[in-house]
Amino acid sequence: MKLEIGKIVIRDIQFSDITKIDQGILHINKEEMIAELSTDMRIKSIDLDIAKPGEDVRIIPVKDVIEPRVKVAGSGGIFPGMISPVDTVGSGRTHALKGMAVVTTGRIVGFQEGIIDMSGEGARYTPFSKLINLVITCEPIDKIDAHEHEEAVRMIGLKAATWLGMLGKDLEPDELLTYETKPLLEQVAQYPELPKVVYVYMLQSQGLLHDTYVYGVDVKKIIPSIIYPTEVFDGAILSGNCVSACDKNPTYVHQNHPIIEDLYALHGKEYNFLGVVITNENVYLADKKRSSDMTAKLVEFMGADAVIISEEGFGNPDADLVMNCNKISAKGIMTVLMTDEYAGQDGASQSLADSTPAGDAVVTGGNANQLIVLKPMKKVIGHPEAAHKIAGGHQGSLREDGSIEAEIQLITGSTSEVGFHNLSAKGY
Amino acid sequence: MCTITPISLTVGANRILPTVAIPHPLGNPNITKEKEYELRYSLVERAINALQTEIKEQTIFEQ
Repeated sequence: MKLEIGKIVIRDIQFSDITKIDQGILHINKEEMIAELSTDMRIKSIDLDIAKPGEDVRIIPVKDVIEPRVKVAGSGGIFPGMISPVDTVGSGRTHALKGMAVVTTGRIVGFQEGIIDMSGEGARYTPFSKLINLVITCEPIDKIDAHEHEEAVRMIGLKAATWLGMLGKDLEPDELLTYETKPLLEQVAQYPELPKVVYVYMLQSQGLLHDTYVYGVDVKKIIPSIIYPTEVFDGAILSGNCVSACDKNPTYVHQNHPIIEDLYALHGKEYNFLGVVITNENVYLADKKRSSDMTAKLVEFMGADAVIISEEGFGNPDADLVMNCNKISAKGIMTVLMTDEYAGQDGASQSLADSTPAGDAVVTGGNANQLIVLKPMKKVIGHPEAAHKIAGGHQGSLREDGSIEAEIQLITGSTSEVGFHNLSAKGY
Repeated sequence: MCTITPISLTVGANRILPTVAIPHPLGNPNITKEKEYELRYSLVERAINALQTEIKEQTIFEQ
């Protein structure tokens, strides 16, 4: 499967009369776009805002971040099974609007959405402060269940990104990248002398409102399977979850998956990147056992010499991470784990809920319990009082002057477990 | 009493009784209230029996 990604750099977003991309500037007719998105009876009102890097702006509570993309050639459409009809994606050509994102806000669960600050200390902790964000504020009707609200806001965000992505279909990209993975036996034969690497991609599936979708299927209902890495670049996997903001993968991260991009970077040079095994993190022990058995079996079946395993979320998924590690290691395959930590505000507590002597290396995305003070902002898009309840915050987190004292857990993407973030470690 | 028994083993619990699921360890929203009461009663009964059972090493009390 071979996919070209054409990057169209967006330098600015402006509201204007006609919706178009001209000279790298995205013009949006606000009324037209709101009308396009206003098809869900469960949503009372929709508003659009633009938040730019460096501005005195806070977005709270953030549900999802999505990159506008469009299929230019090849089968299927973006977000297959959810927005486009079910069809295999990952080949041909896709255009992406770079430097911008669609951000959805909504007080859905209340404690499991995040914050994006566009300036100040908080902005340093979220990768999304570097993007020009088109923020969609959705207010639901009075009587709505949380899961219905989640679905409505999820679909509006995906629809908005798809609608904007269409504008890039006929444009000449600023940059064109090519990614290719061959069918397994051919891929193995292409670089027979190099070590064979598989990526084990754990997806959040802890239950209602903690869901991820693959080709429209709720991930808690899958048994692990193999996908071509390029399928994720076309939105085959997307976020439907309201879990702690710091270490879930917003849809934008699935679309721009840093582990997959990095594995491609040295593919054919240092190792042979065979493909991706997707698996879940369910709340029944039998599911955890079955999925980790299946994951280890698939990795062995593919002939991997080494795997990278990334977790999404924390708590009981730590058990899935450890089970995957133990079972894959037991087959004589090297394992590198990627996770983050909940080691307490002083960093002295046990970092994960489970542990194991197996495994060859662990990479941490940082300690989510680290304290931070976010400055007051001139403009707040959304509901600032959500700070009292968001995981990482506490009653009193939002101070009278508008500043917020909380753990970095409440910042969207601050301790990414796939490395899509800004934290790093220094040796002294 | 715990759902993810591998974690109970890791942290060193000596008597471990598997429960239903992480969001509802002692209940099950898919059955009637009456059946759920029976389920809970039986789990607690088994836990009490486990406490009275002599063990020499970490033990999971499967059904």
